[in-house]
Amino acid sequence: MTVLEARGIHKRYGGLAALADVDLTVAKGQLVAVIGPNGAGKSTLLNVLTGLAIPDEGRVLLDGRAITRMATNRRIRAGLGRTFQHGRVFARLSVLENVMTGAAICGDLSEARLRDVSMEVISQMGLTDEANEAVGSLSYGRRRMVELARALACRPNVLLLDEPAAGLNSAEVDQLVDRLTRLRATHGLAIVLIEHNMGMVMRLAERIFVLNFGCKIAEGTPAEIQAHPAVLSAYLGEGYVHADV
Amino acid sequence: MAIRFPLSIAAAILVIGSLLALVLPEYYLRLLNLSAISAVAVIGLNFAFGYAGLISLGHAAFVGMGAYGLAILTTTCGWSPWLAAPAAIVASAVLAALIGFPLLRLRGHYLALATLGLNVSFYIVTSNWISLTGGTNGIARIPELALGSFAFSGEHRFLWLVLVVLATVAAVAAILHASRHGREMMAVRDDEIASEMIGIDTTRVKITAFVLSAICAAIAGCLFALHVRFVAPEDFTYAHSITYLAMLIVGGEGTIIGAILGAILLTFLPEWLRFLGTAYLFFFGLLMLCILVFLPTGLVGLGERLRRPRKRVSPVPVGAPEAT
Repeated sequence: MTVLEARGIHKRYGGLAALADVDLTVAKGQLVAVIGPNGAGKSTLLNVLTGLAIPDEGRVLLDGRAITRMATNRRIRAGLGRTFQHGRVFARLSVLENVMTGAAICGDLSEARLRDVSMEVISQMGLTDEANEAVGSLSYGRRRMVELARALACRPNVLLLDEPAAGLNSAEVDQLVDRLTRLRATHGLAIVLIEHNMGMVMRLAERIFVLNFGCKIAEGTPAEIQAHPAVLSAYLGEGYVHADV
Repeated sequence: MAIRFPLSIAAAILVIGSLLALVLPEYYLRLLNLSAISAVAVIGLNFAFGYAGLISLGHAAFVGMGAYGLAILTTTCGWSPWLAAPAAIVASAVLAALIGFPLLRLRGHYLALATLGLNVSFYIVTSNWISLTGGTNGIARIPELALGSFAFSGEHRFLWLVLVVLATVAAVAAILHASRHGREMMAVRDDEIASEMIGIDTTRVKITAFVLSAICAAIAGCLFALHVRFVAPEDFTYAHSITYLAMLIVGGEGTIIGAILGAILLTFLPEWLRFLGTAYLFFFGLLMLCILVFLPTGLVGLGERLRRPRKRVSPVPVGAPEAT
């Protein structure tokens, strides 16, 4: 069952075609990766999906409902969630307050209930010890975790992750992979992952979309993508060998 | 949410204010009244600037709307101050909402300039709409506030009224601060796009903060009109807006105690420096500069530093790049 769909998306910035006739389909519980070189249009695609950019042409559907021109906050309430490439947190609020702010969209919960729900998410993300710390005082990696925890507290059906492993060390990347795997298993969460860490992408993704200069050049399973001549030429490199699949 | 802090802050205001009322001479009571009125306005500014990050240089215009609203309704229409005050506050809130819709599409310096323009416009209108506002002559003979036979006349009696209003406003602000609405405002201040991305309607939050700010400003304006019993355009210029902003920053933006401390300090400081004669402005400016440089979190940050001397308290400025 398709939960998120983008059809024929075109987005231009002046003379630059950031996206040209891009399609994307995400099924319930599926992890889809979007890869491509810098400037390929990956983040623009996420901006279109979340309403931060309105496409010049094309449609975005969430659970079969058109959301192409819907305000961002309404899309989130409808079941989308997103994290950003450089991590956007509320630096002067504590970890708990960050997550409570996200959890507040779940409904008219009492403060005590909101706190409990948020602490549960914080615990899942391994942030319990830092719950009362100001997020601005945390390391970059921990901030990324707070951002992810806050997005999860909104209980999305589809989570869009923009380079979640950027700036994380290998141990943190492994933790992140474990957590994403667990989240999908327990919540049936669909994930759209933008990532340059090919090890992570190939381990997690069921389907991969490849963008280059705003156009989709390939779509397939990790094995298919690694053998795709256009992808090897445009992004992975002719000598690309991946051992982890 | 614990109700203890809002009650404590209200109780502290009433107790400290009452004690000061017993010992201070009449002139200082007048300054205390003025600083408490300013504190109400600055707590309001804290909603817009401290919580929601909206730089407003037009706060005095909303103080003026409250003051003029009460003055016009009591002198021209003959209303009781008890009726005129809520009417003036509601009218100011409605105006703030109407002004806020187009104005709050702007951000940062643009918003600051637009609100400055609002304040200048307010001054021009009140100075020139002579039939309604009395022009630069202002409006005099505002009736005194009375509860039965008890008139809030004289500095002592008026202080009781101001303290009760300040304590109530501070307690409500403290409740809001710790609520989801307060967190939403602070989230919008820290990152508007991230706020949208967790389902917050940032336009609604900003307008709410702006209107709450205007309501407090209008309450302060009503108190000012009832205290001085005369209003004129010179009392609500953009310079007053900058003073309110300075009070908040010196006291500690984002905190209620900071708003009150800043209002008190910046009301009393010119009096304390009066012995310096005309040089007082130089020292006043120097002191302000020192506070801003050495206490970037304001006077409230001083308490934090004394409590935790080893830990550096460095707030992350809005829009500052993240450490990586």
